Amino acid sequence: MKRIESRLKELSKVNQKAFVGYIVAGDPDLETSLDLMHLSVESGIDILEIGVPFTDPIAEGPTIQQAHDRSLENDTNLQKIVDLVGRFREKDSDTPIILMGYINNFLMYKDLINSSDELGVDGVLVVDIPGELSLKDYGIDNKDLDIISLVSPTTSKERIQRIAKNSSGFIYYVTLRGVTGSSNLDGNEIEQNIQYIKSISTTPVMAGFGIKTKDDAKLLSSFSDGIVIGSSIVELIHKNSENKDFHEVSDYISTMKDAIR
Amino acid sequence: MKENLPDQDGFFGEYGGKFVPETLMFALDELEQTYKTLKDNNDFNAEFHRDLAEFVGRPSPLYFAKRLTEHYSTASIWLKREDLNHTGAHKINNTVGQILLAKYMGKKRIIAETGAGQHGVATATVAARLGLDCHIYMGSEDVRRQSLNVYRMKLLGAKVHEVNSGSATLKDALNEALRDWVTNIEDTYYIIGSVTGPHPYPMIVRDFNAVVGYELIEQSQESFGRMPDSIIACVGGGSNAMGIFYPFIKMNDVELIGVEAAGKGIETGEHAAPLNDGTPGVLHGAKSYLMQDENGQVKGTASISAGLDYPGVGPEHSWLKDIKRAKYVAVSDDEVMKAFHMVNRMEGILPALETAHAFAYLDELMPQMSKEQHIVINVSGRGDKDLNSVVEIEGIKL
Repeated sequence: MKRIESRLKELSKVNQKAFVGYIVAGDPDLETSLDLMHLSVESGIDILEIGVPFTDPIAEGPTIQQAHDRSLENDTNLQKIVDLVGRFREKDSDTPIILMGYINNFLMYKDLINSSDELGVDGVLVVDIPGELSLKDYGIDNKDLDIISLVSPTTSKERIQRIAKNSSGFIYYVTLRGVTGSSNLDGNEIEQNIQYIKSISTTPVMAGFGIKTKDDAKLLSSFSDGIVIGSSIVELIHKNSENKDFHEVSDYISTMKDAIR
Repeated sequence: MKENLPDQDGFFGEYGGKFVPETLMFALDELEQTYKTLKDNNDFNAEFHRDLAEFVGRPSPLYFAKRLTEHYSTASIWLKREDLNHTGAHKINNTVGQILLAKYMGKKRIIAETGAGQHGVATATVAARLGLDCHIYMGSEDVRRQSLNVYRMKLLGAKVHEVNSGSATLKDALNEALRDWVTNIEDTYYIIGSVTGPHPYPMIVRDFNAVVGYELIEQSQESFGRMPDSIIACVGGGSNAMGIFYPFIKMNDVELIGVEAAGKGIETGEHAAPLNDGTPGVLHGAKSYLMQDENGQVKGTASISAGLDYPGVGPEHSWLKDIKRAKYVAVSDDEVMKAFHMVNRMEGILPALETAHAFAYLDELMPQMSKEQHIVINVSGRGDKDLNSVVEIEGIKL
């Protein structure tokens, strides 16, 4: 069984929701990213989403944009990120890892992504490719990888059906109209839309974008299979990058994990 | 040649498409449906052409450049005077069309990105006319270079948002406008200013600007009894070039030449010429030639002209390049400044620095032409907005 599927099954067996946590690889540097990946898992993250930095990340708010910029100053690229995942796997062979980024970077590393070698990566989430299109059409094809697609509040029912067919691992429900880190969550709308997705697909649904507080996390996890948190974690990492004491990061993750139990 | 491009998915050959976050798909579909319904609607077209005639002042003249022609003493040089349009550039053609789409769709809020400020001014102008809330995104570097246009937009009631991220130029303004659109998707219409961005924008912007090329067909017939031998236009995103090229694509005897910004020289890497020195990639929702590094990161650009200072280009140009229907060349900042002065002195016309790129190619082109031939330059805009930059570049104190 693939890592994402088995992790989600384990959690659902014990009636737990999944906590997907996002960090940008290479912010503040790749060595620290490796430590932060392990720290995140120890603190309660069930699935790691690793941001691949891009010069023009149009779906990101300022917090994650700036993290992308910092990472690019360190010349982070996809090859280095796959190497980072390889090093992570030396100590952790269970935690699923998803690479999240923009199509242009993945296109440049097609051969790497398609290689039959064990990448250690379990899924990719390409933000700027419409979910009903297949990454295969763009030359990205690796049967070992789950393809995570986004559904948003503006996605029509007809599109949701097509997107659901192309998705594996989980469907990422974007909880608001806006970029990452915004704050205008509408609980009722989110609940209705997630219920609709679940009525037509057996693929688990995670809710993300704009989750900051314990209350957000608790509410959204009550009608989804789990939550995704990015900007808040990225912000805390940046705040503590100088002295590299990441207690605040681990405390925040544990608190959020407790909130969705 | 394949006709009626883009195809139903928005591709010109392998270029174009809709590479956007899911939230935007609904708005692009809505826009595509609206445009499909309206483009053959008589009332819509009548209103568009009435506005072009009465508000923009079309048709723009085709003017014989007598002294330039004598200077090179080969082919006759004709100027398509888009600089004489209301607001001073071809950009108004597209905004007049798109604001009508916004009106038919019932959108109350207008956003746009701008580089040189011409598209920002053209957008603020049409929004003012309809009393719509207007927000313009502009890189802080361009705000500095084009302060006069910034003030013009404010006079027109638009809010100008300075963008400091990335290189603080046109590409970053586009990123920020897209983020605004994702956030305010339901009540907001995004007027993209060039033949770039996700489908259906490259098609819509081309179609509204194609009035330039259709007029040229008639005016060429009237002025010299046949079609031109060559048409020259500058290319940043490529909307003025696409507008004048489009009706001629099927006329294979008409040479189409796009002139990109070579900045400090193609060989220095400091330029804005993706068709001359780029590779296919995806930026701002479309696949096209792109200035990028081996990791797929978008490179910084350099050009004297804010309007051409963009690392990408419209997907239809990439397709025209690959099928060899159009030729894309590049001229350096120094060559542009020389041409800028020449056009002022010889023709009494102050061209925009963008437009001066098209003139700068004459030195290379004209010796290859012969007396009985006719070439047309698209004078995409006037240069009043650039006077501050020119003064600064030449170290003059006013």
